[in-house]
Amino acid sequence: MSTVIETTNLNKVYESGMISSQEVHALKDMNLAIQTGEIFGYLGPNGSGKTTTIKMLLSLIFPSSGEIKILGRSDIASSEVKGKIGYLPEGAYYPDFLKGEEILRFYGQMYGLSGADLESRIDKTLEIVTMTHARKRLLKGYSKGMRQRIGLAQALLSDPQILILDEPTTGLDPLARKEIRDILANLRDEGKTLMISSHELQEVELISDRVGIIYKGVMQVQGTLDELLTDRETTIEVENMAAETEQALQGKGIKVEDVTGPNALLHIPAAMSLYDAIDECKALDVSVTSVAPKRETLEELFVRTVGSASQAEGVA
Amino acid sequence: MTFKQSLLGTWAISVYTWREGMRKKTLIGFLLLSLLVILGSTFMTAFMTEASIGENLQASADTKIIKDICVSAISVFGILITIFISASVVPTEVENRVIYTILSKPVRRFQYLLGKFIGVQLIVIINLVLMTALFFVALLIKEGVMPTLLLWSALLTYFQFLIVSAFTFAISCLSSSPVMPTIGGLFIYITGNLTEYLKDVSNRAASGEGFIDSILANVAKWLYDILPNLRSFSLRNEILYLPANDPPTDVMIPNLIAYGLAYGLAGYLLAFWLFRRREL
Repeated sequence: MSTVIETTNLNKVYESGMISSQEVHALKDMNLAIQTGEIFGYLGPNGSGKTTTIKMLLSLIFPSSGEIKILGRSDIASSEVKGKIGYLPEGAYYPDFLKGEEILRFYGQMYGLSGADLESRIDKTLEIVTMTHARKRLLKGYSKGMRQRIGLAQALLSDPQILILDEPTTGLDPLARKEIRDILANLRDEGKTLMISSHELQEVELISDRVGIIYKGVMQVQGTLDELLTDRETTIEVENMAAETEQALQGKGIKVEDVTGPNALLHIPAAMSLYDAIDECKALDVSVTSVAPKRETLEELFVRTVGSASQAEGVA
Repeated sequence: MTFKQSLLGTWAISVYTWREGMRKKTLIGFLLLSLLVILGSTFMTAFMTEASIGENLQASADTKIIKDICVSAISVFGILITIFISASVVPTEVENRVIYTILSKPVRRFQYLLGKFIGVQLIVIINLVLMTALFFVALLIKEGVMPTLLLWSALLTYFQFLIVSAFTFAISCLSSSPVMPTIGGLFIYITGNLTEYLKDVSNRAASGEGFIDSILANVAKWLYDILPNLRSFSLRNEILYLPANDPPTDVMIPNLIAYGLAYGLAGYLLAFWLFRRREL
């Protein structure tokens, strides 16, 4: 597996104020490494630096310092590199007066495609995003989901190795989200590398191989979901629990919740093994009806990471 | 990417700019209004033929009124359309993020701007042709001769518009809304029509002896040298007072075309220089 997108100590500083200029660090020493064929979820609250990073990767803005390499090359503004990247910006406008295939023809010409080559790429791309049926319709008749799929199609026109998608599922209904998610998973399976910036944490968790969380321009954590979602907990559903048993269990460090008559839900602390917990239940004559291991969600990791970064900032 | 493929991309941007621009409601409004004014002037003179003055005198006055109104309409609405469209194409694409989808592809900024600029010129030319065609027909009917002078006038008017368009476009490359470039475009048009006064100011100030006079003379001279003289592109007096099929007199048309092209190119290069490192 090789690194497709790599940033080293990437910084972006904006000067603000006309008279007394102040420096605003939009990105601080960003080190990012995205591998071939993975879906990388790039997460962070509004204004954390996600779009700044993406814009720098696309040469829409320029770094104050640091280095960017895409496909091992530093000349990221060159046609050769740009031709291998597909980009879907957040909330982009596509002209209503054009038909689906016309907008793709327009974008295809940006890659220097023409004639039969262009038409065959349009056919293939429309097929990938399942929009062949609507190719002759004007964009003004498209739903939001269809527009997003056409947006995705324009990013896929050159059959790029890398796809950078900014909020690809925001504002879509659950069905449209699922469709987009399936398309993205298929693209990953074809060997493409995807970088997805999103606020939709559940969506990202469902399809990402690795995630990075950025806060105030600093990458807080980065890794696979298995590496990052470490805060695990097991719950046990029990019955035949007497009132005095509850106190005995709590005395052993087991948290008792949702007590409904003789039934309850027990949260096993990380320090205690599941077998020990079951033995404790047996000893207290409590029947175990089910055991459910529970992993921390991406949302919980996000809240925990951003929360502690925010607290650390407050202390500093 | 080959040169031919780059040209294809540039041309695609031009055609898209033209198609999108021709749908702008403000532009359609200006164009319709100008066509109405040109048509209306013919209608108005039809009323005036009932006035009780000599027949020949009346016909000549009618034609002059039509010419005066139509030349003014083409000039005013033409420049409004030129400024409006030149000021808005780039800021609008930044605002609606279409620019991100284009510049993230193998399209260089020079190429993108060239495509937008050519698209703007297509819009300006088409609008000018429509207005001139209507005026041409009105004059042809009224005077019964081919109004070839009008065609020369339209050609020079285009080069005047090209200069204003290029510098308005350059200002728009720095701006995130069309307001500033529109004001800038109007400023260029107005000052470009007043450069003769600058020469006057420079001469008068130079005859003074004070330090301020000397500075004023130099500034006015510098502005006179650097600002385009837009008035020299106007054939208004020739159209009003010469027969419609006369050739233009006292006008060096090739020189004016070269002058217009040089300023147009300077404006475009300025636009590129301002845009090449702009953060989007």
